Amino acid sequence: MDLAGYRITTEPYYRPVGDEIALFEAAYAARMPMMLKGPTGCGKTRFIEHMAWRLGRPLITVACHEDMTASDLVGRFLLDAEGTVWHDGPLTLAVRGGAICYLDEIVEARQDTTVVIHPLTDDRRVLPLEKRGEIITAHPDFQLVISYNPGYQSVLKDLKESTKQRFGAIEFGYPPAAVEAEIVAHEAGIPRAEAERLVAIAERSRRLRGHGLDEGASTRTLIYAGRLMARGVGLEEACRVALVLPITDDPDIRDALMATIAASVGG
Amino acid sequence: MTASQTAPLRRALADLLAGQPQLGASLDLLWRQAERGFPGASREQWLDACRELTRAGLGSACLIAYLRQAPSCAAQLGPEAAVALGRAAIRIGGLTGPAGAEALLGAAGKAARVLGEASAFTDWLNVIERLAGLAPDVIGPLLDHTETVLGHLGVRGLESWAVSGIRAAGGDARRRQLFFALIDPAARSWLGRGVDDLHFNIVERRMAAYLTALWNIRPRLRPRAGSAIDVPRRTSFDGSLIFVPETYRGFGGAQAVALYRAALAHIAAHLRFTQGRFPLGQLKPLQVAIISALEDARVERLAMAEFPGLRKLWLPFHVVSPLGASTAAGLIARLARALIDDDYKDSHAWIEKARRLFAERPVERHDAASIRAIGSILGNDLGQMRVPFNPRTYVTEPLYRDDNRGLWDFGDAAGNPESAEMLQEAVRIETEEREEGRAEQADGASEAEAGRARPITAEEEEIGTEVARYPEWDYLIGRERPDWTTVLEFEPALGGLGLVEAIHARHRGLVDKLSALIRAAKVSRPERLRRQKEGERLDLDACIAAAVERRQGETPDPRVYMTVTRRGRDLSTLLLLDVSQSTADRLRGAAASVLELEREATVLLAHAMAELGDPFAIRAFCSNGREEVRYYRIKDFATPFGPLAQRRLAGLAAGFSTRIGAAIRHAGHELAACRTHRRLLLVITDGEPSDVDIADRRYLVEDARKAVLSLAHAGIDTFCVGLDAGGDSYLERIFGRRNVLQIDRIQRLPERLPALYLKLTA
Repeated sequence: MDLAGYRITTEPYYRPVGDEIALFEAAYAARMPMMLKGPTGCGKTRFIEHMAWRLGRPLITVACHEDMTASDLVGRFLLDAEGTVWHDGPLTLAVRGGAICYLDEIVEARQDTTVVIHPLTDDRRVLPLEKRGEIITAHPDFQLVISYNPGYQSVLKDLKESTKQRFGAIEFGYPPAAVEAEIVAHEAGIPRAEAERLVAIAERSRRLRGHGLDEGASTRTLIYAGRLMARGVGLEEACRVALVLPITDDPDIRDALMATIAASVGG
Repeated sequence: MTASQTAPLRRALADLLAGQPQLGASLDLLWRQAERGFPGASREQWLDACRELTRAGLGSACLIAYLRQAPSCAAQLGPEAAVALGRAAIRIGGLTGPAGAEALLGAAGKAARVLGEASAFTDWLNVIERLAGLAPDVIGPLLDHTETVLGHLGVRGLESWAVSGIRAAGGDARRRQLFFALIDPAARSWLGRGVDDLHFNIVERRMAAYLTALWNIRPRLRPRAGSAIDVPRRTSFDGSLIFVPETYRGFGGAQAVALYRAALAHIAAHLRFTQGRFPLGQLKPLQVAIISALEDARVERLAMAEFPGLRKLWLPFHVVSPLGASTAAGLIARLARALIDDDYKDSHAWIEKARRLFAERPVERHDAASIRAIGSILGNDLGQMRVPFNPRTYVTEPLYRDDNRGLWDFGDAAGNPESAEMLQEAVRIETEEREEGRAEQADGASEAEAGRARPITAEEEEIGTEVARYPEWDYLIGRERPDWTTVLEFEPALGGLGLVEAIHARHRGLVDKLSALIRAAKVSRPERLRRQKEGERLDLDACIAAAVERRQGETPDPRVYMTVTRRGRDLSTLLLLDVSQSTADRLRGAAASVLELEREATVLLAHAMAELGDPFAIRAFCSNGREEVRYYRIKDFATPFGPLAQRRLAGLAAGFSTRIGAAIRHAGHELAACRTHRRLLLVITDGEPSDVDIADRRYLVEDARKAVLSLAHAGIDTFCVGLDAGGDSYLERIFGRRNVLQIDRIQRLPERLPALYLKLTA
């Protein structure tokens, strides 16, 4: 099976915040299914890319959505001239080929979909293909990783208890200011001092979480703002485009954020 | 104009005066004034106006007043204005009688002085005339206060102020009089609010968010209203409580937003960096003012070190110039500027010394003691310079700074009355506020005591508009009596705006949960339709089945596609609230009255419906006999659940009886006009239908049942939420067993109602 297209050849930048790399390596060694928790844009996806590169495994990412069915994961029959032909889904591909399968935003998928991963996540490590009457035993290198954003799951969208308890979890948050500034400076290619100002602004916006904002500015939005600045856009304008306008439509909060940025910018 | 031309005019004037013995002697004087005020042809027009005024039959006093006022008016504003005044006096006299015309003429001179230009003056005349048409009896008292009112509001504000006053009084002539005599506190408070001044309510939320984002503090902001006479001019703080002027006089739009922001950022700097209150001790007022200014400068510098952008926010307000008068207040304002604005040049020795002393150590090494020491030195210097300082009139400058009260620990203020008095503005307003609070509580208590039978006082006698007549079903004769009930629409009273916010705040968790539920419901779960003739993808199961069938030699089923649809919502809802007298009661074990709970439930439901995007209307009803079924439009289908609707909801009061049938018919009539697939009438009631003119308990129940049935015929669903635990039998009789939800524990209404709505409309 050729999973070459899923291999990550160059090192994705990742700045460890704690001992998450060692933890994940240990979990991988035990082939333990893992859950990455944390708010949006804090580096979960980058982390798993980095780990896949570090462990030398191909990475198959599936962005889950509410219309996703089990066959979108497992595979399906397609029609051809002769009749039907089976086509492996991304999960099956990973199970057969020994890749890391990363189900991004798993809560978005319907609950009946997520149960297909159950047999893979206990000591059976098998994937039954109901439609083909086949049971695939997972490749020894296969690992299942899901991401889970506790912030915006609603009462209706939560993982089943039986699903949650099959995973070990690593919690991600926005890194400490100094580290975050380092990340922003590296990713956006801006001087450290500029990045620090962006991070200070983000911290201020995060204070409004629950007071008008669902989430404060994420590390990702800071990097976007930084990239704009690297191309000559002013700090205030870059923040407006990358940070304020995307996160809120509420004119009051927008105004408060812009005023906060203006106060932070000075001059 | 030659003498031969003027002679007839002079004669005409003499003729006019002939009937007025008390003026006969002043003919010469009048003529001289007229010659000056009315050049050329305008004198003719003026005489015409005088003649018309005589003919209007308003009495000689009017004519005399006009003859006296017109020339000076003409001299100030031009002859046209003076002539217009005469004509307006005639028209207004026609509406109000001679007294109104006299009052107008008496006030004209003052108005001319305040307004100062002809166009504004004629506008003023028009406004008075319109008001005379609306409420003739207010013209007298209104004109008595011409200077105050115009001085505060100008012509444009005058009309809206006066109309609000007329509205606020309802039909009550006595209240109108009190308002226009400026005795009613509302009249004064509304005067204090300029037309264009930005009201703090509008920016409160973003300011709170601003402070939270900047300093991570969650301030408690209290807008402070003033009266026309004393408007709070500065912010004030006391612990984490921040008092903010409701408006900054003369500030509107972006300017006011900047001012509020500057003011709150300044207070936030205090909250962050002022370490404790300065003991007032025996400090002189002058020293208090100086130390306050130094402390202001210290906290601002510290704040600017963290947020350099704040300088841009504060600097524009420092406009004092070194050329200003060297009064103490002026010097303190210059000191304030000198300490924040490094580019500011002021060669005054005292200012230079202040700058030097302040710069002796870096700002972060200043503390209360050093500030106090500098303040004492500067205070002594200023004292020795013998510059005048009046603590009574001293106000902190610039505008955005607070009144410094929060900086000082009064201890035993009796020991230093002079200094305490300077900081007094805040003290007085706070006590007022406390008293107000107490008064409100007292009101609440007396209302509760009044309980059941609320007498209808003259003040409450509003006038409704008849909107419809409906038949009523008499079960005894088995027939409808045509046009038996009259539905009157009443303008709902307006309540406070904070109510809805407060309810949201109280039920924060529930609101969030609802929003989440609604998001899920709204996205209206995509639905997969399999085995379709057309669709965007193949239904593989169907394809396989078709392939199998073909191989078996059968005719395959052509429906091999599948498609995804999202079902939209197409529904309008009318929420009908029972506000009869019994809703003022508290049910057993409930802390709030039925009406309060209805209101809470309505707010939450409205939130749900608004998020769903379903058109909905809110109505309330009660009745006072068959000729007066009162119907209040709280919110219409087309309008958002905005401030007006919220205030109307807040203003609902319980009263009268429950003639529910007529209200249901009228609500059904309104719903019938909606062009949605489903129409739902949701009735919330707490008790058995009843009315003052009905003794037979069954009569109104049967009528209501009939009304619900007729709505069902028209395709309108009716559902009732009953708040009377014992009310099963009659509510089920009226609405049908499956269309009634009894809520036994009324406290649960707010959470049950939106959930019920979602279930009903899913």
